[in-house]
Amino acid sequence: MEPAEVEFLAEKELVTIVPNFSLDRIHLIGGDLGPFNPGLPVEVPVWLAINLKQRQKCRLIPPEWMDVALAGSLIRQTQEKLEEIRDQERKEDTFTPMPSPYYMELTKLLLNYASDNIPKADEIRTLVKDTWDTRVAKLRLSADSFVRQQEAHAKLDNLTLMEINTTGTFLTQALDHMYKLRTNLQPAE
Amino acid sequence: MPSTQKPMRYGHTEGHTDVCFDDTGSCIVTCGSDGDVRIWENLDDDDPKSITVGEKAYSCALKNGRLITAVSNNTVQIHTFPEGAPDGILTRFTMNANHVIFNSDGTKIAAGSSDFMVKVVEVTDSSKQKTFRGHDAPVLSLSFDPRDVYLASASCDGSVRVWKIADQTCTTSWPLLQKCNDVISAKSICRLGWQPGSGKLLAIPVDKVVKLYRRGTWDSQLDLSHKSITQSLNVVAWSPCGQYLAAASVDGNILVWNVETQECIERMQHEKNYTICGLAWHPKHKQIAYADTEGSLGLLENIGDGKKPNDKLAGAMTKDYNDLFDGEDDNCSNGDMIEPQSSPKAGANEDNDDLMPTLGLLRRAIIDDDNSLDIGMIKANSSLLEKEDDDDQAGGFSALPSSTQQPFYDGPMPTPKQKPFQSGSTPAHLAHRFMVWNSVGIIRCYNDEQDNAIDVEFHDTSIHHATHLPNSLNHTMADLSTEAILLACESTEELASKLHCIHFSSWDTNKEWTVDMPEDEDIEAVCLGQGWAACATSALLVRVFTVGGVQKEIFSLPGPVVSMAGHGEQLMVIYHRGTGFDGDQCLGVQLMELGKKKEQILHGDPLSLTKKSYLTWVGFSAEGTPCYVDSEGIVRMLNRGVGNTWIPVCNTREHCKGRSDHYWVVGIHENPQQLRCIPCKGARFPPTLPRPAVAILSFKLPYCQVTTEKGQMEEQYWRSVVFLNHVDYLLKNGYEIDENAKSQSVKEQQELLMKLFALSCKLEREFRCVELADLMTQNVVNLAIKYASRSRKLNLAQRLNEMAAEKVSELATAPEDEEDFRKHLNAGYRSSATEWSQLPVRNVQQDQEMEDAGETGAYEEAEETPEVQEQRPNTFSKGVTSAEVTTPKSAVIVSSSQGRVNPFKVSPNRKDPVVPSANVLDTMSKYPKKTSLSSSRAVNKQNPPVIKPLIPKPKSKQALAASFFQARTPTSSEKTVEEREEKTGNESHQVKVTAQQNTENGRPKTGFQMWLEENRANILTDNPDLNEAEVIKEGMSRFRILSSEERMVWTEKAKRGSVSDLAEDKKRKRPTTDEDEVKKDQEQKSEDSNVSKKTKPLDRSTNVRLSAFAFKQS
Repeated sequence: MEPAEVEFLAEKELVTIVPNFSLDRIHLIGGDLGPFNPGLPVEVPVWLAINLKQRQKCRLIPPEWMDVALAGSLIRQTQEKLEEIRDQERKEDTFTPMPSPYYMELTKLLLNYASDNIPKADEIRTLVKDTWDTRVAKLRLSADSFVRQQEAHAKLDNLTLMEINTTGTFLTQALDHMYKLRTNLQPAE
Repeated sequence: MPSTQKPMRYGHTEGHTDVCFDDTGSCIVTCGSDGDVRIWENLDDDDPKSITVGEKAYSCALKNGRLITAVSNNTVQIHTFPEGAPDGILTRFTMNANHVIFNSDGTKIAAGSSDFMVKVVEVTDSSKQKTFRGHDAPVLSLSFDPRDVYLASASCDGSVRVWKIADQTCTTSWPLLQKCNDVISAKSICRLGWQPGSGKLLAIPVDKVVKLYRRGTWDSQLDLSHKSITQSLNVVAWSPCGQYLAAASVDGNILVWNVETQECIERMQHEKNYTICGLAWHPKHKQIAYADTEGSLGLLENIGDGKKPNDKLAGAMTKDYNDLFDGEDDNCSNGDMIEPQSSPKAGANEDNDDLMPTLGLLRRAIIDDDNSLDIGMIKANSSLLEKEDDDDQAGGFSALPSSTQQPFYDGPMPTPKQKPFQSGSTPAHLAHRFMVWNSVGIIRCYNDEQDNAIDVEFHDTSIHHATHLPNSLNHTMADLSTEAILLACESTEELASKLHCIHFSSWDTNKEWTVDMPEDEDIEAVCLGQGWAACATSALLVRVFTVGGVQKEIFSLPGPVVSMAGHGEQLMVIYHRGTGFDGDQCLGVQLMELGKKKEQILHGDPLSLTKKSYLTWVGFSAEGTPCYVDSEGIVRMLNRGVGNTWIPVCNTREHCKGRSDHYWVVGIHENPQQLRCIPCKGARFPPTLPRPAVAILSFKLPYCQVTTEKGQMEEQYWRSVVFLNHVDYLLKNGYEIDENAKSQSVKEQQELLMKLFALSCKLEREFRCVELADLMTQNVVNLAIKYASRSRKLNLAQRLNEMAAEKVSELATAPEDEEDFRKHLNAGYRSSATEWSQLPVRNVQQDQEMEDAGETGAYEEAEETPEVQEQRPNTFSKGVTSAEVTTPKSAVIVSSSQGRVNPFKVSPNRKDPVVPSANVLDTMSKYPKKTSLSSSRAVNKQNPPVIKPLIPKPKSKQALAASFFQARTPTSSEKTVEEREEKTGNESHQVKVTAQQNTENGRPKTGFQMWLEENRANILTDNPDLNEAEVIKEGMSRFRILSSEERMVWTEKAKRGSVSDLAEDKKRKRPTTDEDEVKKDQEQKSEDSNVSKKTKPLDRSTNVRLSAFAFKQS
């Protein structure tokens, strides 16, 4: 899949916005949206949120996890914040579960279009990029060891679609090639 | 000024909590079992700075920008203050340290640990350590001699020791305490203290007394005690000047003594009686911060201010009062015990505010600081205190935050009057605050060094764009409506109090106007309505202006205003009706109409508030019903249905997670039922940043036993009734109403009644059934009768029948008057279809249907369901039905009053089998599953009581007194039915007639129908171009022209037919009949769409049968 396709899928995720207009419930193939009351938070898919945001029709409320750290909040929340997620990701050898299956896409989309509504946007961008880099490095590493040890199968948990897509096509093709090369080699032996 | 106890607030999680002030007293520092150190600017600080120091923090001390903490990894750490950066570990133990302290100059710290050791460490050089061994149990508390010679320690081994720091020897030891094994099991943590300055005395809390030991001789000089102490004392703390000693007990008592006179000058009780484990004096002011074992933080202000020296001469009083603290200043070694009020007699507000920046929210918000204390008051207090010392019987006194009372008066105490406020605003002393948050928008005020400005933002940007205004006049009050922004400021020395209105919806170029109040008149509250603005002033006047700035009515208020609210033409004013006692406020409310007919609706009635609460929000629901919220979070609403009484509709505290959490109400909507508010963690109001998000709470009336099914349904029913009250009000005042929503609510109510009815039936409570049936509408009563007879409660059915008949006769007399009224209404009202306009429809359709017989919607429903399902796809399917038929159908849907209908809409398909249910209720319970917009038809059928009129909408003049045995038909369905009639009319009516004949199978017809069949030909010959609908219409009018005898004849005919039918019917078993019908139905439908039309006459006839069933007994 192209990254654009994955992003398209990610746009189905729901985010909360505060509209500044009034509109009745709208009925779409994908389901009903609204009603939109000015000043009242409402959940809409990302594509609509971005569209409205671009037309300055709403204010976006970032998802719970899209925050740097717990600092400042009095009561400990069960919800993990990005800093902890990054630290956790670095600490563990395996992939840790992400707050959203489309965390990368959402961060990119929301920060690109609604960074004024997201406090500490730059820090979030860095943190998510860090997490992403860590994960992709892990992915490469595991692919490397997979190929090196000539394993027949491997299982990777908690990968997101976008991450799979970064190596998926390449890896499978590479494995194909290697298989061909190996099978060609063997008769020669 | 009396001492004040601020409400406690959440500081840390449950567990041991320590508290101290920083050197200047500018902030409070706490540490708790959550391992965080928090720095509070003041008690209202909603966003204290947190420093995580470990997993658990046991004790903290602060001096010279160094914060030392004893944490659970057995170390004593330093952090920089206020940055909170770690600055190394001072010392380690093998167990955790229980108490750490600084010496007086901050060069050394001492720490006592659970490993029985005490260490003294130089702050700058942690290698210089001194260890004190000798305790045989964990060390509880320590205290440095201010002269740095001795160190006192208390331990679980029961001893209190004094050590000489220089050679680490034990100078003396007293076996004072109870022995125990562990800090946790210790009865008291025995925080002891040396007198600051000279260090002459060492205070040790021993059980219920504070023992004072003299330095050097180490003999007990005196004991401080009080009769009110019933539990052992936990903590003592000296005031920085060394003159006062505070002690707190494990049951939450705090006492302050003047050590010289041994007089108890202050007594206070913790609001929850939790153990107080931390106590700290403000280095300058007379404040004590305290922390309890639940992690809460509290503040006691103005300690000892209510006190006076022994001089009892009133004249000399004030002077002495002042002198008291002047003298203290001199005496104090620290010399910084600043008198917070230089001139209590002058009552200078400014002084108070400047010197005590930490004044609390509560005080600011409601309690008018009694700055202007008169001499008599001071005397009263002092004599009371003396009295208390004498006979100590004032048990209830100390629990009261204020001691403004008469000498020897032991009765209820007057409550300080709540200050005026604007709804939806946060306290005015905040640098960034909300001036208004309502359903229109938000006004924020920024008042800091760089900027003094007001930001106006509209929720709906189509009203107006966001604006930024300079706030040079220092406006403190504001209101916002869809027409204007209203601002007001209090008077200053040069400038009068001003009302400033920005009428942005004005069509001319001058959008702003300003009005100056007369001298000595301050605006205290403002509000906006539709086309008017109002302000209440300190001269007890309410001034009304038009929104363009014309001065209008003025009226006097019976008392000082608390708050005002406006909506449409209504103005609500809340004012002080009198003095409240024992924490209660005594408020009154006026509600008036400022429209064309000016009238007062509430004439200064007392406002019901929860005990010991004050008002926090006043306003109107979006539909215009007055509401208010008190500080206990109870939302009350005017119940216009029950003689303008107030009904509590929600308790926001029930939704709160924590004790110090609150909901800040911003709006109330009755349709849909929504309470819009902002959740505030650990505060009463939200900060401006980060931008708070609105949450929606549901309403809940405080009915009994809502856990049971009955209670729950009763609550739902009455809530629905209460929240429908606004419809009547709006109708009465000529506003438009949402008919759909109304019929929806009515339907919901009837459903609930029916369920309650069924429940009571099951429980064999027949009397209750009748009571419930009394609340039902006519055709739900029919259902109820049916249900009763089905469940073999014939007696009940009989009674219900009687009742129904009674109702009919009652109603029958009504329509004439109603009609007149209705005409009158129509003249002035925009609302297109009111219940009045529906009455005639009912009359006519019932005219024919009642005489016949019928069956209720239960069967109808079951039979129609397939039709609903089939028709939805029809609108899109091609080829299945002929184009001829589809076109009118879709047209019907579009033109229906239902509004927009989405052909794409995914609506929950009813998968229930179409088997007719034996239970009437089964069908009822299904209705909510359908979404209201699934299609106009579906809506049509959602109303079980709706009978489809075969006759198009008749004129109102055709109204006749007749039976009312069917409920009103909501307009929407009426229209659709009409449309359907036309549609069917498009087909040849012959088809229809034959279809009727085919399907009816000799089912009973109404007299009118029989007549119509005979006379149809006549009508058609007279007017050949009439379609089916018009034919019926014409027929109707002709039928009416007939004399009553003639009509009777037809009716008789019809009856005879139906009776014979009924006899047949009874022979057959009912369920099979139904099944047959349904099967037939389905077959017909599968044949072609034309045949599916036949269901219509079928439906009617089932109706007819049903009513026969209901009435054959009577």
